[in-house]
Amino acid sequence: MRQISLRLNGVARTVEIEDQVLLVELVRSLGLTGTKVSCDTEVCGACTVLLDGRPVSACTTLALEADGRSVLTIEGLAKANQLHPLQQAFIDNFAFQCGFCTPGMILAAKALLDERPSPTAEEVRRWMEGNICRCTGYQSIVDAVLDAAGRRP
Amino acid sequence: MPAREDGDPVERTRFRVAGTEARRADGVAKVTGAARFTVDLSVPGMAHAVMVRSTRAHARILGIEREAAERMPGVLAVLAGADLVAAGLHPYYGHVVLDHPALAVGSVRYHGEPVALVVAETKLQAAEAADLVEVRYEDLPAVIDADEALRPGAPILHHERGQRVGDEGMDQGEGALEGNVCAIARVQWGDVDAAFAKAHLVVEGEYRYPMLYGYAMEPYNALAFFDQGDLVVYSTAQHVYMVRRDLARMFDLPLARVRVSAPYVGGGYGTKSYTKIEGACAMAAHLTGRAVKLDLSVEEAMLTTRSDSSHIRCRSAFDRDGLLLAREFDIVLNSGAYTDNSPLVNSKTANRCFGPYRIPSLRVVSRSVFTNTVPASSLRGFGAPQGNIGGELQMDEAAEKLGIDPVELRLRNLAGPGEAILPGKRPLDADLREDLRCLVASLEWPGTGGVSVGFGVSASDAGAYPTSTAAVRIHADDSATLFTGSTELGQGSRTVLCQIVAEELGLSLERVAIVGGDTGVVPYERTTGASRTTTVTGRAVQEACRDARRRVRELAAQNEKVDVAAVEDAPAGVRVKDRERSYGEVIEGWFGAGGEVLGHGSVRRGEGFAQMPPFWEIGCSGVRLSVDRETGVARVEKLVTVGDVGFAINPALVHGQDLGAATMGMGAALREELVYEGEQLVNPNVVDYRVPRFSDQPPEIDLMLAERHDGAGPFGAKGAGEGAGNTIGSSVAAAIGRAIGVFPHELPATPERVWRLLRERDERARR
Amino acid sequence: MLRRFEVHRATSVEEAVDLRVRYGDDAAVYAGGTELLLAMKLGIARWAHLIDVKPIRELSRVAVARDTVRIGATVTHWDLERHPDVTRVLPALARLEASVANVRVRAAGTLAGNIAFAEPHADPPALLVALGARVVARGRRGERTLPLEEFVTGMYQTALGGDEILTAVEVPVPAPDARAAYVKFQVLERPSVGVAIVAKVNGASFAGPPAVVVGAVDELPRRVDTAALAGASLADARVADALAASARAAVSPVADLAGSEEYKRHLVGVFARRALTALAAG
Repeated sequence: MRQISLRLNGVARTVEIEDQVLLVELVRSLGLTGTKVSCDTEVCGACTVLLDGRPVSACTTLALEADGRSVLTIEGLAKANQLHPLQQAFIDNFAFQCGFCTPGMILAAKALLDERPSPTAEEVRRWMEGNICRCTGYQSIVDAVLDAAGRRP
Repeated sequence: MPAREDGDPVERTRFRVAGTEARRADGVAKVTGAARFTVDLSVPGMAHAVMVRSTRAHARILGIEREAAERMPGVLAVLAGADLVAAGLHPYYGHVVLDHPALAVGSVRYHGEPVALVVAETKLQAAEAADLVEVRYEDLPAVIDADEALRPGAPILHHERGQRVGDEGMDQGEGALEGNVCAIARVQWGDVDAAFAKAHLVVEGEYRYPMLYGYAMEPYNALAFFDQGDLVVYSTAQHVYMVRRDLARMFDLPLARVRVSAPYVGGGYGTKSYTKIEGACAMAAHLTGRAVKLDLSVEEAMLTTRSDSSHIRCRSAFDRDGLLLAREFDIVLNSGAYTDNSPLVNSKTANRCFGPYRIPSLRVVSRSVFTNTVPASSLRGFGAPQGNIGGELQMDEAAEKLGIDPVELRLRNLAGPGEAILPGKRPLDADLREDLRCLVASLEWPGTGGVSVGFGVSASDAGAYPTSTAAVRIHADDSATLFTGSTELGQGSRTVLCQIVAEELGLSLERVAIVGGDTGVVPYERTTGASRTTTVTGRAVQEACRDARRRVRELAAQNEKVDVAAVEDAPAGVRVKDRERSYGEVIEGWFGAGGEVLGHGSVRRGEGFAQMPPFWEIGCSGVRLSVDRETGVARVEKLVTVGDVGFAINPALVHGQDLGAATMGMGAALREELVYEGEQLVNPNVVDYRVPRFSDQPPEIDLMLAERHDGAGPFGAKGAGEGAGNTIGSSVAAAIGRAIGVFPHELPATPERVWRLLRERDERARR
Repeated sequence: MLRRFEVHRATSVEEAVDLRVRYGDDAAVYAGGTELLLAMKLGIARWAHLIDVKPIRELSRVAVARDTVRIGATVTHWDLERHPDVTRVLPALARLEASVANVRVRAAGTLAGNIAFAEPHADPPALLVALGARVVARGRRGERTLPLEEFVTGMYQTALGGDEILTAVEVPVPAPDARAAYVKFQVLERPSVGVAIVAKVNGASFAGPPAVVVGAVDELPRRVDTAALAGASLADARVADALAASARAAVSPVADLAGSEEYKRHLVGVFARRALTALAAG
C-alpha cells in the first residue's frame, strides 16, 4: 500500500492505495461516481477529470499520479449549489440526453475555456474531438460550450 | 440551434406546457454528476463477478478446471452453466425462444460467449481468479457467414430448438424452421411474376448493411440480491418488465417476487432491450447468497449484443412513367448464435424494406439465420436501415435509368395520407409527399458544384404494442407524482411525461414529480422502445390524469353534496356551485386532513389503438455530401431531417432525437462495422470500431418538424427517435453514387470502398 | 482491468538504470502511461514492475541550444504543442503534436514514450526522422546518441538496451531557409498514413534533395528516395508525380482495418503530393 495526498475538489485528502489502482477507481471509491468509465481505452472521454487543470483519462491514469496534485471531478464544479456556467449552458442547450458522457464533456470544455475563454466553434470541435457522445449528434454540445463562453464575466 | 418551428402557431398556443421547450427533468442531476446510473450503485456486502469467455467459436465443453481459481484469495465461487442446472435453475432466457443460456451449457456457439462466472470479494480478485480458469473444448466446425450457414452441409448451431414463449406475441414463420434458419417472414400480394414480365424497366441488385454495435456508453451491468427470498435486480435494462418475466421463469418465482429496477440508463438505442446479463448476475447472487455486481467492459458488451447485418437481393419493376409495378426482396440476416430479438428484426425488415409506396405486386422473403457470431438483437429502427439500403437506393437507380427526377419518381409512387401501405394495418398517418418536398427544398436538390445530394423516405410500422399503464397521485398541496414503468434512457421521457401531466392537470411543471423504472413500485409498462413512450405511455398518462380528475370530481360532489354531474373540471381543480376549488381543497375537504387522489390509466389494443401499428414512424432525411476522389473520403456537408411527429410536445427533445438518430445513421453509412476475420471479432473496442465524433458533425444541420396533429398520441403526437436515421444509409449511398457515378451497394461506404468503386468505374471507362 | 504491479519512482537516471537491471524483463519504463497502461489493461502485455521516470527532474526539460532542441524524456505532447521555443524553432513539430490522438492523451503522453513504444501507427516518428532527430539513451556503460532511424528497429521494437533509459530526443534546429510539413490520413483512432517533408527551399525550388519520410503505414518510418528532386521546382507537376511514385515504392504497407495494402500504397502517393503542396504553401 502507498499513501498519497491530494486536493480532491478543493479538499485535502490522504488515502492509501495499491499501485495499480486507477484514478477513476479511486475517485469512484470515494463516492464521487460522477466520473464514468465507458471505452476504458482513452478514446471516449467519459472519465475525463482535471489533474492540475489538465484533462486526463482517469481510466488510464494511476491514482498515485495524483499525489501532491489537485484533482477536479464533476462534483467539484458547482459552488454551493450554484451551477457553473458550463453546467447551466448544458441544461439550457439540451446538450445531453442519457448524461453518461456529460461529466467528461463538461470538464473537457472547462479545460478549453480556462485556456481559451472565447473559442470558435471549430476550436471547440477540435478540442472536444476526443470526447464521444452517442445521443446528441454533438451540435447542442458545441452550442452549449459557446454559450457558456459568452456567459463568463 | 439551426432549427425551425414549423408547427401551427395557433395550435401551439392551445397548450400551456405541451409544445414548450421545457428544460429536462433530469438536467441538474446529469450536469453535476449526481445522476445515479446502475453502475454507480452499491450495497453493503456486495461481491463482484467477472466472466470467463469462450475462446472458441463453436465447441463442446469437455471440462472446466476451476480449482486453481477457487483457491485464490477472496473467491466465493466459480460458476458454470452446469451448476445452474444442478441447482434446479432454468439457465435459458429469451422473449421469443428460450435458447440463450446465462452461461454456456454443454457447448459454446460463439467466440466470447460467457462460459463461467467468478465471484469474489473484489473485482480485482475475481479477475485474477478468472485468469486461472481453464476450459477444455472439443472444436466443432463453425460458420460465420449467413449465406454459408444456409447451404446444405453447413454446421448446425441448434439441433434442438429452445421452447417458444409468447412474450412478444409473434410467430417466427410458418412451418418448421430448418437448419440454421432462426425465423422466416413473408409479405406478398399481387402477381409479381406477371408484373416483372411486362415491366418497362427492371432494376436489380444486391445490397449489404453492416453488423453494428450500438455503443451505449454505459456498458451492460447489473446488481442482484435476494431480499427475504424476493429477487431484486438493478440493471441497465430498457424493458424492466420483460426482464422481470425472464427472471421469474429462470427462478420459478411469481412476478410479484421479482423486482427489476433501472435507474438512469447510460444510453439504450435498443441495445438494452430485453434480458442480457441479469440472469447470470442473479444466479450468482442466488448461489453465493451475496449481493453480486456484474459490470461488463465495452469489449464484453460488444461480445454480448450487436445488430443484425443484412444481405439483400432485390428487384423493382417500373412502367414507362416510373410507376412501380412490383418489387421482390430476398433478404438474409446474420443473426448470430441465439434467437434474442432477431425474429422481430426479421419481420420488421420484411415490412420496412419496400417503402411507403403504392406497389401493386410484392413478394418479400426475409430469413434470420444463426451463425457462430455475437448474438444480434435490437438497434434503433431495426429492420428499417437493414432493408432500406436496397429498397430506397433502387428508387434512385431506377430514376437515373428512367431519366426521371428521383424526387418526382418518389412523388409519383408515394402513398398519401390515409392510404394503406400494408393490408390490414393502420392507414398512413402522415403526409410523406409534403415532407419530401420540404426535405429537398432544404437540401437544395439537385446539388451544385462538387456537392451531391441524397435523400430518402420510409414509414416503419412501429413495433409498439399498445399495452401501457400509468398512475398519477394528486397530493393535497396541488402537486402530483407520476408513476410510470417507462425507462429514462436519455430520450427525455421523464420530461415529456411530466409535461403531459402538467398540461392535463393544469399544474406548473415544478409541481409535477415522477417515479419511474422499478417494477416493484410503478405500474406495468410493456417496453421502452420503438419510439412508443410519448405516444402510447403518454396516452396512459393522460388517462391516469383524467381518472384522477374524475376522482376529484366525485370527492367534490360528496363534499358539496351535489350530483357529480354538477361538478366541472377547472384548470387546476374543479368548478362546483360556481366556485373553483383547487385539488387540495377538495382532497382535504373530503379526508378532513391530508389525503390524496390516485388516478390510474390503461391503454390496450382497441380504442385509439385498434389498428396496428399505433403509428407509422416516418423517416424523411437526406444529406449534401462531398467526396474526396483521391482518398474516397465522403463528408456530409449538410444534414436535413423532417420530423413528422404529429406534434412536438417538447421540440428541443425531438430535435435531439432526430439529430441523434441521423448521426448514428451516418456512422453506419460511412464508418461503423463489426469485422470478423476467421472466427473472431477483430474490432471489439472503440479504438478500432469508429463511431461519429465532433469532427464528423456536418457543418450545416437543418432539423425540421412537420406538425399536423395526425398522431394517435397525446395532442396528436406520434413517435420519434428512429425515423431520422432510417433513411440515412440509402441517402448517403445515393449522394455518393451521384458524386462518383456508381451507387455503393455495401455500407459502410468506407474511404477504401468508395476509392475502389471510383477505380473500377475508371477502368470500365478506359476499356 | 489492470492486474497488480509495483511502481518504483526513480529520482535519477542512475536509479532508473539500476531498477531496469534489477527487474529485467519483469519491468517496463513508465512515463505518461498512455500506451503502456492501455496495453496492460488489454492484457497484451503485463509487467510486475513499472519504473516511473517522471520524478527525474532532468528529463522534464526542453532545452534549445544554437543547433539542437533537446526534449527530455518526460516532456508531454501537450507541453510541446505550447512550448514557446518549440513553436518558434520547430513549428511543424508543434503543429503535429497538436494533432496527436486527443487532448487527454496529449496531456499525459510523452514524445519519448511514443518513440520508445514504437507503435507504427504514430505521427511523430516520420517528421522526426525527416528532421534528423536523434535519441539519447543512458545505461550502465554511459550515454549514447543514435539516429531515430536506427533506434526504431521494428513494430514495437527498438535498439534500447536492457539496461538503458531513453533520456531525450534531440532535434537539429532547421536551417533558416528550411521548411517542414506533415500531412496525414486517419480514419480510425491512429493515423494510417503520415508523410513528412523537410526541405531547404531556394525561391520556388528545392535546394538539394528534400527529406521525405512516410510513417504509420509500414512497420517502420520509411525514407523516400528524393535524389532526383534536388533543384527541382516545387510547382512542377512532374515533381509531384516523381515524389508520389518514389514514396509508393518506399513502403510495404501493412494491411489492417484502416485499409488494404493496395489502398494504403495509393494513399502514400496521394499524401506525398499533399505534403509537397503543404510545403509549397508555407
